[in-house]
Amino acid sequence: MTSPTPPPGSLLTASELRKTYGPTTALDGAAFSIHPGEVVAVMGPSGSGKSTLLHCLAGIVTPDSGSITYDGREMATMNDSQRSALRRSEFGFVFQFGQLVPELSCVENVALPLRLNGTGRKEAERTALSWMERLEVDDLKGKRPGEVSGGQGQRVAVARSLVTSPRVLFADEPTGALDSLNGERVMELLTDAARSTNAAVVLVTHEARVAAYSDREVVVRDGRSRDMERVV
Amino acid sequence: MSVRREGPGAPEGSRSWGWSRDLAMGVRFAFTGGREGWIRTLLTAVGVGLGVALLLLTTALPNVLSARHEREQARRDYTYDYTPKPPADDTLVIADLDSTYHGDDVRGRLVQPDGPRAPVPPGLRTFPAVGDMVVSPALKKLLESDDGALLRERLPYRITGTIGESGLIGSHELAYYAGVDGLAAKIDPPNVARISAFGEPHPFAEEAADPVLLLLVLVVFAVLLMPVAVFVATAVRFGGERRDRRLAALRLIGSDSRMVRRIAAGEALAGALLGLVLGTLFFLAGRQIAGTAEVFRVSVFPSYLNPSPALAVLVAVAVPMAAVLVTLFALRGVVIEPLGVVRTARPARRRLWWRLLLPAGGLALLYPMLGQGRENGDFNQYMVTCGVLLLLVGVTALLPWVVEAVVARLHSGGVAWQLAVRRLQLSSGSAARMVNGIAVAVAGAIALQMLFTGVDADYTKATGQDVTRAQMEVSVPDGVPMARVTRELGATKGVRKVVALSEGNLGERRMSADLNAQVTVGDCAALREVATLPSCREGDVFALRGSDYDDNMQKLTGFRTLFLDPADGEEDTESTPVAWTVPRGLKQAQTRLDMTGVKRGGFLVTPAALPAKGAATVHGHVFLGLDPSVPDAQEYVRNTAARIDPLADPMTWSATVESGRFASIRTGLFVGAACVLALIGVSLLVSQLEQLRERRKLLSALVAFGTRRRTLSMSVLWQTAIPIALGLGLAAVVGLTLGTVLLKMTGTSVSVDWVSVLSMTGVGAGVVLLVTLLSLPPLVRLMRPDGLRTE
Repeated sequence: MTSPTPPPGSLLTASELRKTYGPTTALDGAAFSIHPGEVVAVMGPSGSGKSTLLHCLAGIVTPDSGSITYDGREMATMNDSQRSALRRSEFGFVFQFGQLVPELSCVENVALPLRLNGTGRKEAERTALSWMERLEVDDLKGKRPGEVSGGQGQRVAVARSLVTSPRVLFADEPTGALDSLNGERVMELLTDAARSTNAAVVLVTHEARVAAYSDREVVVRDGRSRDMERVV
Repeated sequence: MSVRREGPGAPEGSRSWGWSRDLAMGVRFAFTGGREGWIRTLLTAVGVGLGVALLLLTTALPNVLSARHEREQARRDYTYDYTPKPPADDTLVIADLDSTYHGDDVRGRLVQPDGPRAPVPPGLRTFPAVGDMVVSPALKKLLESDDGALLRERLPYRITGTIGESGLIGSHELAYYAGVDGLAAKIDPPNVARISAFGEPHPFAEEAADPVLLLLVLVVFAVLLMPVAVFVATAVRFGGERRDRRLAALRLIGSDSRMVRRIAAGEALAGALLGLVLGTLFFLAGRQIAGTAEVFRVSVFPSYLNPSPALAVLVAVAVPMAAVLVTLFALRGVVIEPLGVVRTARPARRRLWWRLLLPAGGLALLYPMLGQGRENGDFNQYMVTCGVLLLLVGVTALLPWVVEAVVARLHSGGVAWQLAVRRLQLSSGSAARMVNGIAVAVAGAIALQMLFTGVDADYTKATGQDVTRAQMEVSVPDGVPMARVTRELGATKGVRKVVALSEGNLGERRMSADLNAQVTVGDCAALREVATLPSCREGDVFALRGSDYDDNMQKLTGFRTLFLDPADGEEDTESTPVAWTVPRGLKQAQTRLDMTGVKRGGFLVTPAALPAKGAATVHGHVFLGLDPSVPDAQEYVRNTAARIDPLADPMTWSATVESGRFASIRTGLFVGAACVLALIGVSLLVSQLEQLRERRKLLSALVAFGTRRRTLSMSVLWQTAIPIALGLGLAAVVGLTLGTVLLKMTGTSVSVDWVSVLSMTGVGAGVVLLVTLLSLPPLVRLMRPDGLRTE
């Protein structure tokens, strides 16, 4: 069933979200909330609607109905360019396959969100490099994504997602394409870095081992979400 | 680790077996690879098909020209035999009434058979009866439409049939045969003549082929075919990147890198073979459409479009072979690895030396023919074709090097610029490939334009006609009173000025005169158009001075009696000499450049000063100034002229006249260039869309983290604009070089027509701009962040 009323102080809240793609119902009354600095894992089987929930929360996809509030602002009232600006300045993203721009070097990839915000190239690349150091990939700065391994690429993608110091980090199956060792390293670095900047993390995964890095778990099934009690 | 697999029962070590097995597997994948595979194969097939159709069409062009020539020859009725021919059972009197209607030529003939065995024109079963006409289907359609109303006035005959295909040179030709009587009395070869057969061979030897025109034809063919070949090479790589990724799966199950390349070649081969089939279908469809279309006022019949069998076989063999070779060549730099990963190895720096060999080889082939000129010109067809082709192929070889060398030196700018430059740095080859076709076409077009402009003066003659003073001229048949012609033409809508002049000649004797001079008859206003008169009134006669060629005047003015239209000799029965007494008060007048561009000599005579029988000895011409604000003024004049006498010959003036063969080569180039540019535009669009589709996920991800659409659109624009600018720059250099060489070959002074260069590059850039604009809507669609959705 839908989650209860979000606790006060939540940064991002959604309720009664509905979204269909043709005859397929992706979300059917889903709810969600997250506090600053919190890491929430969204779990569920393939096709359950967890990625759609992430896309709705991030303003990438507009739900058919329901409400999403970010920092007290209703997302439905924002137009496309306002949502884009929000994603550029307040949110960060990590996808399953990194989605690094293949023609840019790793440092240019990490610097890209800053440059899109208007930061000069040199300053953007300096900041990018410091984040690459934190994620232990600074030695790859001149290489192109095609020249690095999957795990390294994903750490570059995490650096890119954090370089703007986002308040919310959306991670969609960030370790889905990695082996367990690399996956764990990426998760450690991601959550440590996010916690150090007090960023909230919405972590979509179907792996319990990845969800273990979260503070709380939400299960999505048939388009509905439910908070899980953590079994210790 | 790579594992070399051999199929069960494969002869050990048989390379050809390995090749054919892998190619066959690729062919199978092309058709069984699901929707993706089908789309890719179909894309390649459509691309190759369009190229094949254009190749077949081009190889059919010589046949089109010869078929049109043969038809034209078969209906030839022009005679060089001016000796009177008596009427007989098997003779026909025919009058040439060719005209123009709204810019289209109208072939008209009046016919009057002398007997039952008179030759029937090709395409007709019987002669039209007096007052009837047989028309071409296009003319029938035109006359029945509102557009043909003015022409209908000119042709007051009843339509009783249509001319068959054998009597026409094109499906859109406007032609008619009208039956009349009384034509025999007007015989005046060659316009009105008595003939006993159609298609009589030309009495003189066929004009020897002009080497410069031959050179033009060869270069036009090379220039048109080269971009088509480049297009075919591009088409076989449609969907290549996606295929490469899929082939990684084959590496996973043990295929080695050579095998996957051959399998990829097999997939391209399948597309090429299907493309051959589609190309044949496109060609057959195009053949039918060609029969209904008219391009640059040239139309054909489908039966003309028969490609030469040898060239068709060459196309059928070369295209699949090219597909295999191009794919193998293209995959050299791609490392396909297992685990679904395709890593494009950081490409080795492109080498320049062998790329320079191609244009250098082309120049070497053309060099021996430099300076031969038209007189000594005996251009070796093979050397010309190979030389031009090598120079143009040089563009495709040099362009990747140029793009790589330049983009490597470009520095970062804004985000859009950075994305574009980095993309070009990573894959300058595909960028260069995208613009190769355009660059080759533009290089060829610049060279041809230079050649055309250079030799233009040799094939375009100034008529001398002063189109500011008159725009039309009507030649008045003998026996028609000038006063009536002047009056009726003057009253015609759109006519502002009428100058009626009759011309003849006179001599000092009735027969075999030693001294001859021109005589021009007209009223004072008309005579002032040809000379500066001191004063003038009816009855005056003027002796002209200042003419460039008339040196008999001094002697002739000494005679009291002169003879109009003196006979050449005893045999000259057509002349009707009339005695004319030179008036005592002969005035002098200074000649001036007349409307036809001539400084006349001889005598100027006002009508009252001409003897009564003198009017029959001069031929009338009426020069007309038209009102440009009346759009159909020319048609009104033609209609009035036809009403006065169907044999009256109205002509529209122009300052220059172009050689027919030169004009047809130029037209052929325009037709071909239009088709080639359209084809290249399609290929560019497909490549562009394919690249965008490849990057759909990435574009969505970029938009997801807030990239502005404008930034991405600008990046796509830069990605196209940079290689295009480089391609057009290189094309201009190669085109100017080739143009210079060709001009030197024809012995023409070299001058660069910068307007042409800029317009040709402008057309190339325009095609790219249009393609970019067309690809923007799909780009915007692909940039939606919901493209991240996978389920």
